Amino acid sequence: MYDVTRRQLMHLGVGAAGAAMLSGLPVPARAEDQTLALYNGQHRPPVEALVAAFTAATGIAVVTRNGNSAQLASQLIEEGANSPADVFWSEESPSLVAIAEKGLLAPLQAETLKQIPAKYAARDGAWIGAGARSRVVVYNKSMIEESALPKTVLDFAGEAWTDKVAFAPNSGAFQQQVVAVSLLKGRDVALAWLKGLRQHGRIYNSDSAAVEAVEGGDIAVALSNNYYWYALEQELGPENMNSALYFIGQGDPGTLITVSGAGVLKTSKKAEAAQRFVAFMVSAEGQAAIVGAIAEYPLRPGVVSPFPLKPFDQLDPAPLTPADLGDAAEALALLREADLA
Amino acid sequence: MTSAASASDGSSRRGAAASAPASRWLVALALIPTALIALPVIYVLMRSWGAGWQAIWSELARPRTLRLLGNTVTLCLSVTFFASLIGYAAAWFTERTDLRGKWLWRVLCCLPLAMPAFVASFAWKSLGPSFQGMPGAILILSMESFPLIFLPVAASLRSMDPGMEEVSRSLGKGPGTTFWKVTLPRTLPALGGGALLVAAHMLSEFGALALLRVQTFTTAIFQQYELQFDNASAAVLSALLMLLCLPVAFGEMWLRRGVRFSKVGRNTARRGSPARLGRAQPLVMLGFIAVAIVSLGVPFGRLGYWLVKGVSAGRGLDALGPALFGSLSLALPGTVVTTLIALPLVLLVLRSRGFFARFADRLPYVVHGLPGLVVALALVYLSIRLLPAIYQTRAVLFAAYAILFLPLAQSAIRASAELVPRELEEVARTLGRSPLQAFVSVTLPSLAPGLGAALALVALELMRELTATLILAPTGVVTLATEVWSHTNDSAYAAAAPFAALLVLISGIPVYIFTLRTLRPRTDHQAL
Repeated sequence: MYDVTRRQLMHLGVGAAGAAMLSGLPVPARAEDQTLALYNGQHRPPVEALVAAFTAATGIAVVTRNGNSAQLASQLIEEGANSPADVFWSEESPSLVAIAEKGLLAPLQAETLKQIPAKYAARDGAWIGAGARSRVVVYNKSMIEESALPKTVLDFAGEAWTDKVAFAPNSGAFQQQVVAVSLLKGRDVALAWLKGLRQHGRIYNSDSAAVEAVEGGDIAVALSNNYYWYALEQELGPENMNSALYFIGQGDPGTLITVSGAGVLKTSKKAEAAQRFVAFMVSAEGQAAIVGAIAEYPLRPGVVSPFPLKPFDQLDPAPLTPADLGDAAEALALLREADLA
Repeated sequence: MTSAASASDGSSRRGAAASAPASRWLVALALIPTALIALPVIYVLMRSWGAGWQAIWSELARPRTLRLLGNTVTLCLSVTFFASLIGYAAAWFTERTDLRGKWLWRVLCCLPLAMPAFVASFAWKSLGPSFQGMPGAILILSMESFPLIFLPVAASLRSMDPGMEEVSRSLGKGPGTTFWKVTLPRTLPALGGGALLVAAHMLSEFGALALLRVQTFTTAIFQQYELQFDNASAAVLSALLMLLCLPVAFGEMWLRRGVRFSKVGRNTARRGSPARLGRAQPLVMLGFIAVAIVSLGVPFGRLGYWLVKGVSAGRGLDALGPALFGSLSLALPGTVVTTLIALPLVLLVLRSRGFFARFADRLPYVVHGLPGLVVALALVYLSIRLLPAIYQTRAVLFAAYAILFLPLAQSAIRASAELVPRELEEVARTLGRSPLQAFVSVTLPSLAPGLGAALALVALELMRELTATLILAPTGVVTLATEVWSHTNDSAYAAAAPFAALLVLISGIPVYIFTLRTLRPRTDHQAL
């Protein structure tokens, strides 16, 4: 009698363990299932807005896997030919360029590429920009006067700025800025700039951490993307902000246009729906959904951002396109040489 | 009952060989975790190898590698030291003195376990730059990890017969001498076990250090993955990190070596006369209050501040239910799987002194220091090539959880398993039970406290796990930890606050169970 109870108990245990394992088994997808798998490294609000609009317009459902863009790119590379992803939406173009170089992206439809200016897409049409941002200088208004800020981002590496400049070498956009300095001013200048920043500046883990440090009064100035400041402004309320944006302009790499963007995986089994998704991102409706949820500039002419952005045509940015900046591999070499990576 | 006759006949002569069939089963079962754990090791070695000797050497020879090594070791040793100091002192005051309000201090000393380090660090960093950098990181991480020392030490003080100390005192030894010669040596295994868990944690800590701007091997590995997509130098750093884990892995073994856990009189542990604090009473209380403010007050205060202040408060709140469900549906089965897989490893090493047993038992500790990112990418690479059908299913995620957190389960189970006299099971065998029956009827019930502690401890870690979950969970599944990460990533701190608060609250349940299990008087075990 006693033994039987034990045995029943054991069966119960084995059953429970089995159930735990079974819950891990895959559910076979239905053949006609058109649900898209989106690997998303972009901030979630614009993606959620766009996915909702896309599903409402087309009836195609989208399942999102959120992550960090660079980590998702690493994941896509490890997945290789077996990737379950259909579309990759990246916060930065270098992650897109990296997987395009591995031959993982399918060419986008010509009609899609025609929707926005060609300079915001890959030259071979492997990926396309969805929104533009500017590199900016964020400064704490009570710690420094706007008039005291320099005319070029290169000056921040000087001794006069010791312990006053926050920067994030991990940030994809900062790496693009490094490449921009190298392309416009030469490799030696870029290396000296990085060494100066390492010596005099303060390293933060991300652009947003650097912006928060300026807002909180920890440090006077940060090199960042414009939308991190707007995100914080939205959270704290405009009237409470201690910091402001400063645009260097004049073609200086301190004001650099970068894009978030997307591409379709070559291995997607739902290529048609995936192409429709990317086409929708640059449609009038899609662009409005995106720029309504994040302080990025729309890339499609005629769409207006509800955020009080400095007008795009007054930025006078560095004369470089996202494609010029590539996968920012040169930045890694420079960062390593400057002992920042 | 012929089998009974032959079993009793054999066991008298064969002695150790009597459990040979059980061992074979155990070896087979222990191969599962060993194979799992080997996966990231193979991946890291393969990737390092692919980089070529040139690249490996140039990575090792960089001044930066030395700096990272310095930071990693400094952080690891300092946090372990201070956490041990605070944890031990707290345990001694609550178990061996006439301190008033002990239950309150005990609860306050356990609660920081429920506070994920990234939540605490976020709160501290927002207080200003003086809490960032190495000193700040040491302070904050010591305060968040001391319960891992407090709990085992308090349990061991409680189960220790105060008679020893009384004898020492009666022979005219002062309280100091008594402590150093009698109390400390007997609590050393508990202290050591906790300290090594803290040390291994520090090797793989990422979230908190990224916020506090401290660079270690682990943050450098994450940085490599931000900068580069074919990752040889991340692989080389990971290999170095595994080497750093070796002393941790073998340190624990060394601490346990030769310690014979006294079973005699365990049930007779009684309360001795506590040390009188006298006028120091309020001072000690102030100390406890200070620790509670640092480890709990500041993080909770900060969550509240954002809830009130942030404009995004309430945004995405409808995800609270799915996130809670997601957390539980991943963490609970993951916990069961991890604990079940750990069991044969522990039993094997207690029964066999062979090379495989010791190797299989230590390997998880070596991998425990690897960042979740590396383990997750290893599983992406291997599962999609070898078993594409299970990719992005819970099965792979549970495997990652097991690889990352086996040592927590192992330590907890072993604490109980060591107390089970092996002779008991042999007696059952001589009475005609099969090896399995003997195990189920004799050993398993005695392991219950350890299993309970293992389940609670692993559940706690899985609930807050972020990196492997992001990479390996089925697409579309969200958890409390991924939502906190998402919202803070958008600077929407008020939106993140309810998720963080719920995470802390839910984590309170395993902490409560774990505390109860650990601090319950040993005499209760027999009743379970």
